[in-house]
Amino acid sequence: MKFQINRSHLLEGVQDVMKAVSSRTTIPILTGIKMEVHSEGMVLTGSDNDISIERHIPIEEAGNVNIEVAQPGKIVLSARYFSDIVRKLPGETVEIEVGERFETTLRSGASEFNLIGLDPEEYPRLPQVEEKEVLMIQGDLLRQMIRQTVFAVSTTETRPILTGVNMKLEEGVLTFVSTDSHRLAKRIASIDNSTEGLAFQNVVIPGKSLNELSKIVEESSELVHIVVTNNQVLFKTKNTLFFSRLLDGNYPDTSKLVPSESKTTLVLSTKEFLQAIDRASLLAKEGKNNVVKLATIDETNIQISSNSPEVGKVFENVTTQSMQGEELKISFNAKYMIDALKAMDCSDIEIWFTGAMRPFLIRPTEGETVTQLIVPVRTY
Amino acid sequence: MNQESVGKRRFILHVDMNSFYASVESVVDPSLKGKALAIAGNPQERRGIIVTCSYEARKRGVKTTMPLWQAKRLCPELIIRRPDFPKYRTFSKRMFQLLREYTEMVEPVSIDEGYMDVTHLASNPIEIAQDLQRRLYEEIGLPCSIGIAPNKFLAKMASDMKKPMGITILRKREVHHILWPKHVAEMHGIGQATAEKLKQYDIYTIGDLAQQDRYTMKQRMGVNGVKMWERANGIDDSPVNPQRADEFQSIGNSTTLAEDLDDEASLFHIFSSLATSVEKRMFEKSVVGQHVQIVIRYRDRKTVTRSKALDNTFHEKQIILQEAWALFLKHWTREPVRLLGITASALLSKEHAFRQMDLFTYEKDEKTEKVNQLVQNLQEKFGQSSIRKGAEAAPLEPHDE
Repeated sequence: MKFQINRSHLLEGVQDVMKAVSSRTTIPILTGIKMEVHSEGMVLTGSDNDISIERHIPIEEAGNVNIEVAQPGKIVLSARYFSDIVRKLPGETVEIEVGERFETTLRSGASEFNLIGLDPEEYPRLPQVEEKEVLMIQGDLLRQMIRQTVFAVSTTETRPILTGVNMKLEEGVLTFVSTDSHRLAKRIASIDNSTEGLAFQNVVIPGKSLNELSKIVEESSELVHIVVTNNQVLFKTKNTLFFSRLLDGNYPDTSKLVPSESKTTLVLSTKEFLQAIDRASLLAKEGKNNVVKLATIDETNIQISSNSPEVGKVFENVTTQSMQGEELKISFNAKYMIDALKAMDCSDIEIWFTGAMRPFLIRPTEGETVTQLIVPVRTY
Repeated sequence: MNQESVGKRRFILHVDMNSFYASVESVVDPSLKGKALAIAGNPQERRGIIVTCSYEARKRGVKTTMPLWQAKRLCPELIIRRPDFPKYRTFSKRMFQLLREYTEMVEPVSIDEGYMDVTHLASNPIEIAQDLQRRLYEEIGLPCSIGIAPNKFLAKMASDMKKPMGITILRKREVHHILWPKHVAEMHGIGQATAEKLKQYDIYTIGDLAQQDRYTMKQRMGVNGVKMWERANGIDDSPVNPQRADEFQSIGNSTTLAEDLDDEASLFHIFSSLATSVEKRMFEKSVVGQHVQIVIRYRDRKTVTRSKALDNTFHEKQIILQEAWALFLKHWTREPVRLLGITASALLSKEHAFRQMDLFTYEKDEKTEKVNQLVQNLQEKFGQSSIRKGAEAAPLEPHDE
């Protein structure tokens, strides 16, 4: 194998597939990046078995030549060294040549590296996914849906299924739901561009996969193709295939957990409320509890407070746009509230309380695309 | 602590209440005064053990952790009371309040002991100690022993020397003739396991330890070895830290196995009884934890500790056991195990702690909270000890035996 490639294109590709490579893998060959060059271009592959990323670099793009292939072929190179080397090479192009025993030479400017490569035939095959039924979604919308839900996945393995985001498609409505059993985040969106009659319910994608995916998907209206199989999901963009394993098991039914009525309803400015909670949590964090208290005062005021015995106290009044229903005092984890408010993406929110010991709901005053649920804390 | 005060001569008091629970009982019920009294788990049951006892009972040979039946045999007229932790907490609060009347530099160590830094007070530390001891006895009715020394470690050793109602001064220059002849296990911070380990190096007395080379101790036992060596030489720079909240403290139990084991069922059983005692001690101190830590020591003495921060506070045996066991399975090499331990850390006192409720089970919590609120309201109205929950009135007995 012998070819020459534009260094910045190679670096971009390598950095994308690196997102799937883990240093902790139990399969030695997966510490490497697979590189294949043929007449149409280059394919880079990285995988940790849970996530696999395949990145294409075309020979030519918009009239510019990216790669000049002298002799096609393939090789696996140590991901760690290869990515560091490509990042630091001096020239604008890199020449790569692989010998019979996988010994690989990288030349750029006046620099030359010799790397010991691995046999590409030993690299596992990526899952074969047939693109029969496809769901299509704009890249920027997909990123937003991930950002608005993925933070609420569980980080403990107590209930492994909760470490993922539940993706549902029913009657043209795509839903992302996640919960760590202390709070819940839900985002819905209408989808027009999908295969007629396509529907699924119990698809659970690991939170980690979605975090990596959102780094690769571009913030643009370009469509991402999603294909779901029994145990895999594929996200396909123009130059990238992103595969993720799905979590086994049944995602709990969360539809009944969302309250449908309110006993106390507040309307607040998202930003003002977020800042007040953030300030109150300055002391709460110190006390390790990170608990703040919300109390209604009158129709236009609520009080946010926090008390850490070893540190001190804080009180702050926040003006509400409206307050309806019963008086209320409720305590909750400030971090959950901050996470939820940051994910609202709207200027005003409505909070529905149904009692101090029950989950409460946060949603935009306009539209119902985002729903956040937080369960309060109790004393001992 | 600021830089200036390091190296300067300090006066530290260690105040240790004498048989605290028993003393509190006889304040509340003066007819118990001067009698052999023991606080023990369920007295109706034979297997109850002595939590603490009065000096009168100690004179008859009754000891802490002794089974009740044995104590009764030594001292048939022994009066038994069940522990009443809310009451002890009330007295503990009053005691620390009194300590803080002298200085804000008070660091509570447990429900019944604490350090005070009286360096900057105008009066002489001995007079302070005498006045404090007298007032604790006259105003609250509780006896204590006080150690006076230039640092926390020596103060702690000193308060232990004269009980009850003693005041002991321990100067650094006296360390070699007062502390050095003692067995290392008498040193605060050295348990049976460490004493065993020191024996390997022919270290039996505190003097043996003090005369080791500092570097050698570091090689043998790491930073802990250095700390031990320093203490044996009367050195302890740790400041009295009034902010030292519960979170820095931990409650742990470990046990050296009768024989090295590698079968899961037996190891699980050991974890289960360790979790039971951790739960019990957390209950007694009225705290909840945020981290669970385990210790595994193998046949070759290689020791591994692993911990996990849980995303909710806990105090139940079931959770402690579940998390400890999961940690164990994750880190165990499957080699035979010599010692196992569980520690709950990042503790918070229950009155300041919260429990994050669960989306799937909050309805159950809702009921508990209603009871809590009711109890709290009644307590506010009629006083702390007017009412409490049944589970708090009686200590939990290990339920896996």
